[in-house]
Amino acid sequence: MTLIVLFLGLAVGVLVGLLGIGGGVVLVPALVYLLHMDQHMAQGTSLLILLPPVGLGALREYWKQGQVDLRAGILCALGMLVGGYLGGLIAVPLASRHLKGLFGCFLILAAFLLWRKPQPQSTTATSAGQESAGA
Amino acid sequence: MPDGALRSVGIFFAACVCGIASGLFGIGGGTLLIPFLALFFAFGQHRAQGTSLIALIPPTGLLAFLAYAKAGYVSWKVGLLLIPGVFVGGILGGWLAKRLPPRRMRQVFAGMMFALGVWQAAAAWWR
Repeated sequence: MTLIVLFLGLAVGVLVGLLGIGGGVVLVPALVYLLHMDQHMAQGTSLLILLPPVGLGALREYWKQGQVDLRAGILCALGMLVGGYLGGLIAVPLASRHLKGLFGCFLILAAFLLWRKPQPQSTTATSAGQESAGA
Repeated sequence: MPDGALRSVGIFFAACVCGIASGLFGIGGGTLLIPFLALFFAFGQHRAQGTSLIALIPPTGLLAFLAYAKAGYVSWKVGLLLIPGVFVGGILGGWLAKRLPPRRMRQVFAGMMFALGVWQAAAAWWR
């Protein structure tokens, strides 16, 4: 069990670094289908994993190139803190079944967003960790 | 500078929407934040991604996490075991990304996510 979980973390991390998408979008379905977690439990556990600043290394690259809007970033952090609280309030009392269905709809939306995202102009330097802290 | 103030308020509210998705679905929020910044606030793709990264350095999911933890919806053991794997895997993935066509990988993955989303919604509601 412990070994499986360690390996799962590694696999999810590879996808995150490879595709520049967030860990949560991958983690939640992985926890639900591979570890047979309840939807609520998977989402709470995913939030726990996303607490440490996993994108710090990637951010350094963007910062060096001046591709960071600090003021907007701070505003976004505040907005997401507030919004996250509201989202948590909505999610916790929902029936697991409805939450699972809603998450499915969100995955479909995320798939479209991922498809449309243009490829960065400079090929290698940034393709590595873009948005890896992200979603 | 009323334009700048208006823009700031707009960014704050867009981020609130991302935060709601983050708390509702247990994700980080960058998946939404980046396209929002790019589409509504004319950020370049790189700048949107860099700004999303800095917004995610503070633990923005903390309040949502506490709501889940209070309800007992956190598996500490699995979560703590996953963190080192995700970290090391992320470095590995970054290394691999330089050697594979990223656009193709994204599209394959987007296809998988779409199928998984349809399956999950169907399993939840039409059974």
